[in-house]
Amino acid sequence: MRAMFRAILHSQWKWSRLIVVLGTVAAFAIPLLSLQGAARADRGAPQAQELLRAVQSWGTLYPLLATALGLLMAIAAWAPDHRGRHIHALTLPVERWRYVLLRFGAGFVLLAAPIAAVLIGSSLAVLTATLPPGLQAYPIALAMRFAFAVFVAYAVFFAVSAGTARTAGIVLGVIAALILVQVVASIASIDLNLVNAAQTVLLLGPGPLAVFSGRWMLVDV
Amino acid sequence: MFHGIDPRSPIPLYVQIAERVRLAIATGTLGSAAPLPSVRQLAAELRINPATVIQAYKDLEAQGFVEIRHGAGTFVRELAPGRRARERSQQAVALVRKLLADARRSGVSLAELQRALETELGAKTT
Amino acid sequence: MSDAIHLERLHYRAGKNFEIPNLDLHVPSGSIYGFLGPNGSGKTTTIRLILGLLRPLSGRIAVLGLPMPEQHAQVLGRVGYVPEQPHLDATLTVRELIDFQAAFYPRWDRARAEELVGRFELDGDHLFGRLSKGQKAKLMILLALAQCGDLLVLDEPTDGLDPVVRRDILSALITYVSERGATIFISSHLVHELERVCDWVAVMDEGRLITEAPMEKLKHGTKRLVVTGAPAEVVNPPFRLLTRESANGGGPGENWVVGDWEAGMTSYFEGVGASVRDVIDLDLEDGFVELLRSFREGRARR
Repeated sequence: MRAMFRAILHSQWKWSRLIVVLGTVAAFAIPLLSLQGAARADRGAPQAQELLRAVQSWGTLYPLLATALGLLMAIAAWAPDHRGRHIHALTLPVERWRYVLLRFGAGFVLLAAPIAAVLIGSSLAVLTATLPPGLQAYPIALAMRFAFAVFVAYAVFFAVSAGTARTAGIVLGVIAALILVQVVASIASIDLNLVNAAQTVLLLGPGPLAVFSGRWMLVDV
Repeated sequence: MFHGIDPRSPIPLYVQIAERVRLAIATGTLGSAAPLPSVRQLAAELRINPATVIQAYKDLEAQGFVEIRHGAGTFVRELAPGRRARERSQQAVALVRKLLADARRSGVSLAELQRALETELGAKTT
Repeated sequence: MSDAIHLERLHYRAGKNFEIPNLDLHVPSGSIYGFLGPNGSGKTTTIRLILGLLRPLSGRIAVLGLPMPEQHAQVLGRVGYVPEQPHLDATLTVRELIDFQAAFYPRWDRARAEELVGRFELDGDHLFGRLSKGQKAKLMILLALAQCGDLLVLDEPTDGLDPVVRRDILSALITYVSERGATIFISSHLVHELERVCDWVAVMDEGRLITEAPMEKLKHGTKRLVVTGAPAEVVNPPFRLLTRESANGGGPGENWVVGDWEAGMTSYFEGVGASVRDVIDLDLEDGFVELLRSFREGRARR
């Protein structure tokens, strides 16, 4: 099993190394950039407000990065197999579920790098910054939330990607149908906000996707 | 020795191979105790089924021409002196049979064949 | 275990136009089994069913004694497969593909893989996508052979390749068979190549198996006869009548193409007041063409 996992990890690394490297660099940079204003010495209450605004606005990049990483890693995990119509994978002497699990695990191992980068970057940012009084830093909580978001995004897109082209088509078709209905409704001036409804159901309701919504604050009160 | 083996010929491949070996033995190309190519080597070289080579060698062993020594290979047997001569004359008969059959099929008469034979033989000696 | 591959009453359908209604196939262990048939006859589909890539609607598939597709993970560890189209990732190098494969097969023979890399003159650092067609085929064969399986399943392995590459591949396959006694199942329409190498042959057309016989029997049992004075109805012949037509140029006799012929069957003709003027040998390709022709005419008539 170990040899198989190493083999799959190697091939997956080869396909996704650009994504991992860029993602790691971005994950390292965002926390540092969000706290760049805090390096200055004299701080008072108005500066705190400014800092929080900066942190919040940079913070919107975390869920975007997590989603992008999850999506791209999931695609990278399956694109070569899809190209060969899965013939190679299906004729290997492993059960399908085991093979899928190995691919999933390999992708997740590679995603450890950007997750670690968030932790290191935010710890470094906090260490080199002087925080105004009343503000606390939460680098570990931030990194853990990022890790969870990456995991959820990767799992969701991996599940779609691992299915047949037909499953992926169905998912995309449903999304397209929603958009189409929304467009028709707005043309007919019918008051129907499907996107909002979908957002409420998926992101704001209790569930794994809720991790993406809300504010991502490295530093907060 | 084996080039020209024809898989499309009606003569089975193992028979063709055995014939070539017998001819080589009869004419002395393959001397006593000489080794035959290994099954693997010959099959791969001719790109034929190894089972075909094995069958040819087994037939040759049954006819008393070779000896299969497991692990060592296949070797030509020491032949009684008259045996080689007999084998050669058998080859000659087979050639003549084939010639006559071909002539019959193409409509060449026996007289025409004889004349051609004499011409060719005469041409050789002058 | 007598059969490396055993298909029984296999039924498969894809879409409205393609169906394998009832397939029985038996590949004896240790044989080199040729699977002939025109394009679209169902050869590749049959291979996919054998390997568990497709599921039949009904019927039984047993490979190396184990049921497929239920036990595919266990069976495929002993089966080397070379598909018709290159199925490996174009972005990996030759070396990476070899190492990847080695990780999945407990019986992997590293020495044989290295030896074949040398013999096939492959460069370990070349990307698979950049290899020529012949080199891709050689690599796929290399992987199948280094797995040391008991069964090799090859789908048109030498199709479209130049003669030098074809020879190299055939030699490597034969060396493997001599050393390991494996069973080889080759589907091809290069009849002459199969003729040299196979000891069993099966012919498929339109999803049906027309014949399955030892190579010698098919090759030497198919003859063209020049017959005179035969009656219109042929009753219970000991041979298999494939086609029958009047001789060219308005000659007196008829040309019959028959299968399962054995010496001495001329007595049948004497029994019905006819005579056989000539018995002409047909090579495998001619025999194959005649078989197909008679099969298709038979189906058209129905």
